[in-house]
Amino acid sequence: MGARGCRGYYKEFAALLVGHPLLNRAMGDVSDRIGRPTDNGQIGVIDPDCRLIGLHLYDGLFKVIPFDNKGQLKEAFNIRLEELQVLDIKFLYGCAKPTIVVLYQDNKDARHVKTYEVTLKDKDFVEGPWSQNNLDNGADLLIPVPPPLCGVLIIGEETIVYCSASAFKAIPITPSITRSYGRVDTDGSRYLLGDHNGLLHLLVITHEKEKVTGLKIELLGETSVASSISYLDNAVVFVGSSYGDSQLIKLNLHPDAKGSYVEVLEKYVNLGPIVDFCVVDLERQGQGQVVTCSGAYKDGSLRIVRNGIGINEQASVELQGIKGMWSLRSATDDTFDTFLVVSFISETRILAMNIEDELEETEIEGFYSNSQTLFCHDAIYDQIVQATSISVRLVSSTSRELRHEWFAPAGHSINVATANTTQVLLALGGGHLIYLEIGDGVLTEINHSQLEYDISCLDINPIGDDPNYSHLAVVGMWTDISVRIFSLPDLNLVTKEPLGGEIIPRSVLLCTFEGMSYLLCALGDGHHLNFVLNTSTGELTDRKKVSLGTQPITLRTFSSKNTTHVFAASDRPTVIYSSNKKLLYSNVNLKEVSLMCPFNSAAFPDSLAIAKEGELTIGTIDDIQKLHIRSIPLREHARRICHQEQTRTFAICSLRHNQSSAEDFEVHFIRLLDDQTFDFISTYQLDQFECGCSILSCSFSDDSNVYYCVGTAYVMPEENEPTKGRILVFAVEDGKLQLIAEKETKGAVYSLNAFNGKLLAAINQKIQLYKWMLRGDGSRELQSECGHHGHILALYVQTRGDFIVVGDLMKSISLLLYKHEEGAIEERARDYNANWMSAVEILDDEIYLGAENNFNLFTVRKNSEGATDEERGRLEVVGEYHLGEFVNRFRHGSLVMRLPDSDIGQIPTVIFGTVNGVIGVIASLPHDQCVFLEKLQMHLRKVIKGVGGFGHEQWRSFYNEKKTVDSKNFLDGDLIESFLDLGRNRMEEISKAMGIPVEELVKSVEELTRLH
Amino acid sequence: MRGRCGRRLEREFGNLRPNLFVNRIARARISSIQLSNYKEIVSSHRGSIDSLQVDLTEGRYLLAGAADATVAVYDVQRATNYEGGGLIAKHKSVFVINKQHENGHKYAISSAIWYPIDTGLFVTGSYDHHVNVWDTNTTQVVQNFKMPGKVYKIAMSPQARAHMLIAAGTEDVQVRLCDIASGAFAHTLSGHRDGVMSLEWSTSSEWVLVTGGCDGAIRFWDIRRAGWFHILDQSHSQLGRRPSLLSRTTTNKKSSSAGQISNAKVRAPQRKVPNGNALKSYSTGRISSHVKTTKQRLHPGMLSNYNRATGHYGVVTGIKGTGDGMYLLSAGSDSRLKLWDIESGCNTLVNFETKRLQSTKAIQMAVSHDSTLAYIPCLTTVKELYTGGNDRQILVWSPSKYISDEMDEWRKGQNTAVDQDNWSD
Repeated sequence: MGARGCRGYYKEFAALLVGHPLLNRAMGDVSDRIGRPTDNGQIGVIDPDCRLIGLHLYDGLFKVIPFDNKGQLKEAFNIRLEELQVLDIKFLYGCAKPTIVVLYQDNKDARHVKTYEVTLKDKDFVEGPWSQNNLDNGADLLIPVPPPLCGVLIIGEETIVYCSASAFKAIPITPSITRSYGRVDTDGSRYLLGDHNGLLHLLVITHEKEKVTGLKIELLGETSVASSISYLDNAVVFVGSSYGDSQLIKLNLHPDAKGSYVEVLEKYVNLGPIVDFCVVDLERQGQGQVVTCSGAYKDGSLRIVRNGIGINEQASVELQGIKGMWSLRSATDDTFDTFLVVSFISETRILAMNIEDELEETEIEGFYSNSQTLFCHDAIYDQIVQATSISVRLVSSTSRELRHEWFAPAGHSINVATANTTQVLLALGGGHLIYLEIGDGVLTEINHSQLEYDISCLDINPIGDDPNYSHLAVVGMWTDISVRIFSLPDLNLVTKEPLGGEIIPRSVLLCTFEGMSYLLCALGDGHHLNFVLNTSTGELTDRKKVSLGTQPITLRTFSSKNTTHVFAASDRPTVIYSSNKKLLYSNVNLKEVSLMCPFNSAAFPDSLAIAKEGELTIGTIDDIQKLHIRSIPLREHARRICHQEQTRTFAICSLRHNQSSAEDFEVHFIRLLDDQTFDFISTYQLDQFECGCSILSCSFSDDSNVYYCVGTAYVMPEENEPTKGRILVFAVEDGKLQLIAEKETKGAVYSLNAFNGKLLAAINQKIQLYKWMLRGDGSRELQSECGHHGHILALYVQTRGDFIVVGDLMKSISLLLYKHEEGAIEERARDYNANWMSAVEILDDEIYLGAENNFNLFTVRKNSEGATDEERGRLEVVGEYHLGEFVNRFRHGSLVMRLPDSDIGQIPTVIFGTVNGVIGVIASLPHDQCVFLEKLQMHLRKVIKGVGGFGHEQWRSFYNEKKTVDSKNFLDGDLIESFLDLGRNRMEEISKAMGIPVEELVKSVEELTRLH
Repeated sequence: MRGRCGRRLEREFGNLRPNLFVNRIARARISSIQLSNYKEIVSSHRGSIDSLQVDLTEGRYLLAGAADATVAVYDVQRATNYEGGGLIAKHKSVFVINKQHENGHKYAISSAIWYPIDTGLFVTGSYDHHVNVWDTNTTQVVQNFKMPGKVYKIAMSPQARAHMLIAAGTEDVQVRLCDIASGAFAHTLSGHRDGVMSLEWSTSSEWVLVTGGCDGAIRFWDIRRAGWFHILDQSHSQLGRRPSLLSRTTTNKKSSSAGQISNAKVRAPQRKVPNGNALKSYSTGRISSHVKTTKQRLHPGMLSNYNRATGHYGVVTGIKGTGDGMYLLSAGSDSRLKLWDIESGCNTLVNFETKRLQSTKAIQMAVSHDSTLAYIPCLTTVKELYTGGNDRQILVWSPSKYISDEMDEWRKGQNTAVDQDNWSD
């Protein structure tokens, strides 16, 4: 609400008054056409006796909205407020008439408190009962104290004052900026105060009956830097933070070893403020990860945001050398799995759930446990089938005794085996393929066939109508690198599909997703192939190949939420699933998985057993497609980040607030981090007053090395704009930052870009191009080549080919062109709107994207076909949109894996990061899709209503001090995707209005969801 | 305490609100303003330049009207050529219309303004008794209004959505509203006893016009009603102080009566807080409610004293409202600047240290977007350019490359400075 400035809407939160969920009883527009919006932010307060709402939106005005006890709002009016620099306004408790207390600053920067009574009849103020002059210079917060004490607490940087008509008490505190408070008791005698260093204090008002006798303050401990504190109950407190993770804490009665009373119970991830980020592909497998500079002050951190599926570990056992793993039931129609068979190189062990729901080792007498198990499976008639290299055993799952054993012919050993509940397929050395069927207590050899090569993998997962019997068998072959499909039971070759290449298939799987049958085939090098299988003819179509990892993959089905998925275990474990009859791949957030089998036991329902290096884990799996966030606390504030592929490092510009000495000062660093461990491996400290403004990893023409370039500024307290800065060029040598060259500049280096093998820097109002020159003595230096003046401050620069796009402090976007022949930079075109920029990006050759100070996004187009110079020199605004977020950075990239075979993979996307910690995606959609979705959005606006009747169209319209225009050429993906959450009726309503079947709408919206 | 590293960092991590960031930068830039040493406008005029306006849509084209009957447009954002090794940008005029033009004015152009919606039209008012509406692209007159006397000042409302009126102040006592839509006079506003040298539309309502006459009166008009509804009285200076809780009734009476009688100049606290306890306002709605009460008091038969109230001794040469719609700045031939609280109609008694102001023709003033600084062209013996702010800051413009009597050049320098300010809001 506040983000919209004076266009604010007020809502009356009935929840505050009567304690039931948010009920919007009345609303209206409170904006005025006159007045200057307040500098210190809008203030909205409600009288404790619920007689009126007070709003301070414009300097010198206090707006009053009276309301009656039914929650009906009456006509609002403004009262002039003589105090111009208002810091805080609160209503006082226990006053006969609504009384506000105003904390303000006068022209001499002294701070005072004044009270006013609001008289509704005269629509004016009357001087209140008391006032207090010349308070602490840092006084910034008022806390009204409820009855019986009443009065107000004034929180300063060095003192805390209690003030009322009858009493005045003050105590000194250690200098700190209090950012938030929370009331502990309803009688208002204790308060929690959170300061800018994340220290939590308890403030106690001591009193005798209703007479305040003094104040006491005590340090409780450290939390995140609190933006809001809510005391819940039973000493449990929620600490909301906009600079770090929000926390749920418990205040203990006794301090711990470090003297802290604070115990953190839970953390809620907050990415904000995202000051900078980079998109990297650390595992080099086509899926981007975002590494953000998040948090501020002591809560500064790097966050690695990745799209992937998490495993919630529930139990784990140390087990080395697992070769195979299967789960078994104790009876065929049991719903839960009981046994977990774990096979090793020379033995087989069986784990089972005991009565205490613990996993313990057990035995099945009929099993042959002194050898590796190749395969085992539940079979009909309460039996279990176990295949080892010499035999296939049929064991009763109730009595656990051996019922029948089938031996491999002498001289042959079983290499690969597979089974379902009624069938067994074995591959023996020399290309022999043997098919058995399971009867009640008997295994019958039905057929035998000899192939020309050895068999590498098999599968007979039933995918037909009969869930117990498969008519097809899939075989992966050595030597000719093919997969073959045989019919069962006669073992006739149906299809032969050569895979090409030299890598043998290591795992094949027949499966059905959404009624479509597929043949999945995983190769030894981490590639994965899939085919659509025609179950009646055995025909394979729609061959697709994707890379999932670099190690051999084992495929296994599992089910989660009644849907079948396939788990591909490898060095990059992946879940293969289908959505809208399309196969999709999502990472699992585990390092390396050698094997997986579903283990749906009573104690761990819907779980997976996962064999990792030296460990067996049982855990449940997250929903598909979820962001995974890893946090690297820095305890200092990272401002800029960049990744260097060649040295596998990150470099960051960071700063640390040093509180140790009496004076509060900042130290700025360039730090080098390993891109796997995120450890600091090298640090370069900048000069006093110097701060890092930009960082870039680049290489220069005629030099094969890669460098980190850092742009800095000397920020002198007395200067408005920096007049001095440096460009530092570092090389990473033996894991150390080595300063290779430095160049002094006449201003802050706000941006650095690699440009045609040169370095392009934005220095205050100038764009400057530097060449990388070899000097006589073999050393290198940056030499100025050309420049371009004419900006207020060139803050954000992006380049594409010879074009340079500049985002100015206050003059929107301009387009420059570097002319090789003349060695000069010229302005080509400019957007003449007065946008204060916060980020720019180049979407394609023609379209440039900008974010501006009033939380808007816009795009401009280069008009190279313009008839006149004037037309060509103008960047035409093509898109406008109110995002409602302050964007700090755009980067090309995507968080989802880009599959070369999908249409979605072709859509270019840009990721943005904002002050509030939002990561968003802007996708450039093709025109047809855009037109279609715009129509859908228009219909959705009618169906989905905003909170408080605040229309979507109004919210998304581009808005700044100069103009308000409807959004254009931008679509709200969140709104469009909410289509999927609508009930069937409303979906049909929209489908009818658009004349497009619901299924088609769902399909196209779902397609959109896969962009992020 | 924090943020030595600068405002930009503070904004980046959300410690500094974006609008405060803008205000602070704009303020710092305005307070450090000086004659630009990298941007020069090549004047095409041979007389004093009496009117300057940067277009309201892009802040790109500067319209200048001069005493030699020329009007010219300059592109202030895109330089025509560079001098001094590419460091000094020269801005030559895009076009000039002079007396030789078939529709050109014969005498001095006193006022030249842009059509507020786009740069397709502009309007000029001249001492030759004409108001011309021009098509910018063809530089042809598309409409012509004949006035009863010299045109001193014309204005169009940037707020207006429902009308396209040019308000024109002339030698005549009546203010005329020229309708571009119909090409005729919409109506006339009668009330001033002498010519009207300055006028301006309200920033808060498209119907409210403020005029300053040669009779020293500053009047407010609601063009939907007959007659003026408000007049500023320089002696009405006491703002209603809030009575304390106890002595409320008594002080109320006292303060109001004292305010009426007292002589403003004597009572004016000399070092009054700039912007200080002076500033307040109500919405437009309140203005009209004020109208009602005023009207009741002012029965047509008893206009006498109130009607003769003056804003200045002598001629009101210029008026300018602040961007927030709360104050009005006026300049008079008494060489005083006055700041008025619009809602209450009080003279705030802010003391501006101005030097001699021109009294024979209308002057143009500008106010920075956060209303802390105003720019007023002054004449002094030492021939320097002064600007006075409502915080009583006087900025002296002593250009380094000072060319003796080309006063216009300073004015332009000053106005380019102001237009940089315009970019920022």
